[in-house]
Order: sequence, then structure tokens, then C-alpha cells
Amino acid sequence: MRTLFTPSRAALLIFFVAAALLPFFVDPRGHLLRVAAMVLLFAAMAQSWNIVGGLANQISLGHAGFFGLGAYTSTLLFLKLGISPWIGMFAGAVVAGGAAVLLSIPTFRLKGHYFALATLAFAEVLRVIANSWADFTGGPVGLSIPFMGSQPAYFAFRAVSSYYWVILGLLAAVCLAFHLLASGALGYRLRAVRENENAAEVAGVNTFRVKLIASVISAALTAICGTVFAQFTFFFDPDSIFSLAGLSVRMAMIAIVGGLGTLGGPILGALFLIPLEETANAFLSSKAAGLSQFVFGVILIAAILIQPRGLMAWWPKPRRRRAEASRPAVAAPAAKGA
Amino acid sequence: MPETALSSATPDAAASAVLEVRDLSAAYGGPDVLSAVTLGVRTGETVAVLGANTAGKTTLLRAISGLIPKARGHIAFEGLALLGRPAHTIPGLGIGHVPEGRHVFPRMTTLDNLMMGAFFHRGAKDIAERLERVFTLFPRLQERQAQLAGSMSGGEQQMVSIGRALMGKPKLLLLDEPSHGLAPIVVDELHGAIGAINRQGVSVLLVEQNAMLALSVAHRGYVLEAGHVVLSGSSQSLSADPGVRRAYLGV
Repeated sequence: MRTLFTPSRAALLIFFVAAALLPFFVDPRGHLLRVAAMVLLFAAMAQSWNIVGGLANQISLGHAGFFGLGAYTSTLLFLKLGISPWIGMFAGAVVAGGAAVLLSIPTFRLKGHYFALATLAFAEVLRVIANSWADFTGGPVGLSIPFMGSQPAYFAFRAVSSYYWVILGLLAAVCLAFHLLASGALGYRLRAVRENENAAEVAGVNTFRVKLIASVISAALTAICGTVFAQFTFFFDPDSIFSLAGLSVRMAMIAIVGGLGTLGGPILGALFLIPLEETANAFLSSKAAGLSQFVFGVILIAAILIQPRGLMAWWPKPRRRRAEASRPAVAAPAAKGA
Repeated sequence: MPETALSSATPDAAASAVLEVRDLSAAYGGPDVLSAVTLGVRTGETVAVLGANTAGKTTLLRAISGLIPKARGHIAFEGLALLGRPAHTIPGLGIGHVPEGRHVFPRMTTLDNLMMGAFFHRGAKDIAERLERVFTLFPRLQERQAQLAGSMSGGEQQMVSIGRALMGKPKLLLLDEPSHGLAPIVVDELHGAIGAINRQGVSVLLVEQNAMLALSVAHRGYVLEAGHVVLSGSSQSLSADPGVRRAYLGV
């Protein structure tokens, strides 16, 4: 019998139930709910990043590029053609997926720092284009989504809690996607590629294709997060939506501090980092310029030094299931040998 | 002995040749590591390739597996031209490659490592049977199936690596220095396993620095020096050859 309720899964379930009930217990128009929504959104972004960064171990510093492509695609489709952002969201996912294919062809030969730098350049190029192609993108002024009151068909709500629940749903969907990928055939192959690319190739794994699929899925999910972000904040400009420090690095950082390649890592990382940053800003930004970022940075460095494998490393390990319960093929020969 | 001593380097009957390499040259951007190498493996045979380090032995196997894009010449597996095919399609044709240096997936269990080898024909009904065959060959892997491959001894990792290649049900097994860096007792065990694999009908191309081991399991052998085949023949004739004895057997 396969156990459905491991401690980790129970914890995840409790997290989602508690998160879903949160709007009933806090001020629905308050700052706290907005921060909570950002925590969930960043968890979803870091989880999307985790598909490439964690499973394939390709540390990308260009995911803001996909995020911004999602935000720009859905918002431009809405502003210019009146298409609902719910549809624009998927259009953005397709655009980002296509960009991921184009980016992968030259960059997948690169490893480590070189890959990170190439992806970083990708997002920067998009930022420059968005800034200079003012006729189409609105240029440095950015794009505003007009306030329309409550129009659920157009992804516009009056209450913060509605956005909050949409974001929670998105996080659940991204986590499910990550889990299915990690435990399915593709995840198996990705692990093989991460562990030893040469051995994977002679074992018949098409390493290029496997990495490509992961990066397209990761890019598409990140773009969807971008659309949701745009709808939630009503405004964005090229420098904020393609931001290296604000988005690309933060996605990677949340996943790394939480636990690279783990399902719970991005959630733990976002729960830890986003409120920490908010608190540092709230209490320290009036004291001295840059002090809050300094303190935040120090805490980050400390976190990585104390537990390089991320917060998830402290999580109680479930017993190894894969070898025992999950595969019937093993039972036969194992029984025979005894 | 029916085997012709120092038989010609070209495999004569193409019909019975599982692998045919003709005029193979390969380079990694510099001078040729292999130049005009011609050799063959007949169905059911174990063939050894001897030679010192840098003689081009590993390059030969990597070229067969499609891992050297710039290889020139002709390689045929059961009459099928191999050069130009992407590496990941080669195992599916029936060629298992055990790379040099025990390339296991260190943070996967033994069982997962073995399963990786059968991945390219997922859904095959006989996976359990193949696994059983590997476990019969290497009972230790059955005991250690839940252990992380990276935490096992060198010999066990080599067994995992060979087992993984066998999970793909190869007709031809390419073994790259299987005995390298292993204790003599483990080498004996592997030696026995190679014989058993061959008796199950798998043709074997074995690359070895340990000429003693290689010639004791192989039917025939080739000697590679600086990328050229300098000598070939039956194992008996090679072990009797004074040059081979001096250079590779240390007698």
C-alpha cells in the first residue's frame, strides 16, 4: 500500500488550507493581505524557476524576462484589442515558451556561471527593448491597467481577497506541475542529466530535449505569474518587470534559501524572505538610507552559511519510498532472492 | 585451432558481423586520436582492444556511441550506418555503453540507476525479467538496491554501470576499462560476469589496459597504438606474441 499522507504532504495540505482561510481572519483591505498575496506569488515564481534551476540544475538569472513577457503580452492584448487577461495569460505563456526555445538553442551548451550570465543578458535585452520601443510598449512610462471595478471575466476584482485566492490557486497549480514533473518520467531524466550528463546520454536520454521541455514549462508558468502580477498591481514599467535584482535574482534566491529542487523549498523560502524584507523595510528604511537592504543582505548571507542546502534540509526526511513501496517490478526479484 | 592467427583486420563475412568499423578517424579539434581504424565484432564474440593510455581506445567506443561528432569513416551496427546518429538514439538500437570511470548517477538509488538503463523503452513488459537477470548476474546489487549509488564501493558502482547498460537489452556491449582501479578479487568477479554476459548471447567489445584480463575473456583482440591498429588476432596468438607479452603482459 502506498501511503498518501506523508508528514510532508500533510504539512503542505495544512499550509494550503490555512492560506485559503487567511482572508477571513485579517483585514480584507489591509496591508497584511497584500503582503501575504506577494508571498504566495513569489512562491509560485520561485517554484516555476525551480523546474529549471532545481530539477535540471541550470541556474537561470533571466526569469524576469519570461515574467515580463507574460505581463506585457496579456496587458497589451487587453489594452489594444480588449482581449481578457484570462486569455492573454495563456498567450503570454506561449510567447514566453517560444522565447525559451530560442534562448535554449544557443545557451544549453553553457554550464554554470556562463549559463547564468547568458540568461541574465536575455532579460536585460528585453528590458532595453521595452524601454526604447515606446510606440508599442509604452516605453519607460510603463503600462497601467484601468480600474474597472469588479469584472471577473476580465480578471478585475474589487476585493484584495479575490486576487489573493487567484494567486493561491496559481501557486497550487505550479506546485502540482512541479510535483508531477519531478516524480514523472521527465523528472527522472532531468535528475539523470543533473547527476551525470554523459551517463544519461549513453543511457538513451536525449539530454537536450529534456532540458528544453523543462525550460519551456518553467518559462510558461513564470509568464502566467507575470500576468497575475500585472493584474494585481495595476501598473508596471520595464525596469520593474524585467528587474534583475527585484525578480530574476529573487526567484533564484527564494528557491535556493528554501531548498533547491524540493517541492516545499520555494514556499518556505518565500515565507521566510518576503516578510523579512518587508519588516526590514518597514522598521529600518527611515533610519538610514540603504540600511534595510544591508540588514536583509546580512541575514541572507547568514542563512546560506548556516544551511547551504536550504531550509528544507531541516525538514524531517520521509523514509525512502521509491525503492520499496512504489514499484511492483521490484517485488518479484526481491522475493526470490530471500 | 581453427582461428587463423593474425587474421586480417577486416571482418570477412559481413552477414555475421554485429559491428563493423572501417577507416574510422576521430579528433577532438587537434591531431587525429584515431586514424583509419578498421576492426569488427562478429555475432556472439567477445573482442578486446588493447593499448596504452591515449592509444585511442576510449575514443573508439565514444565514436561508436555517437559521442564524437567529428568522427569520419564508417561504422555499421548490424549493417546500419551509425555515424551521424545522435548519441541518445544509439542505446535503442541495441548498443549498451559502459563508460570509463564508473559513471553512475550518484544520488540515485541502485534500483533507479538500473531503471534509467531501461528508460528508452518504457512500457516494455519484460522490465522485471531484465532486472532479475541483472540481479542474478550481480546478486550484490539486489541486496543494495535501495542504497544511493554514490555511496557504494568502486566495484559495486561498476556493477551498477554494467547492469544499467544490460537493462537496455543490448546486442552489443561496449565496456570501457571495467577493471580500472578495482581490487583483484573484484576484477575476477567482473571477469566472470563478462563471460556470463557473452554466453547469454551478447557480443562484447572490451577496451582494457589490463591485457591479461582482456585476453582471458576475449576470443580475439586488436592492439591499438597511437590511434592505429598495429596488430590483431586470436587471444591465444596475441598472448603468444613477443611484442604483446613485453608491452602489455609484463613478461
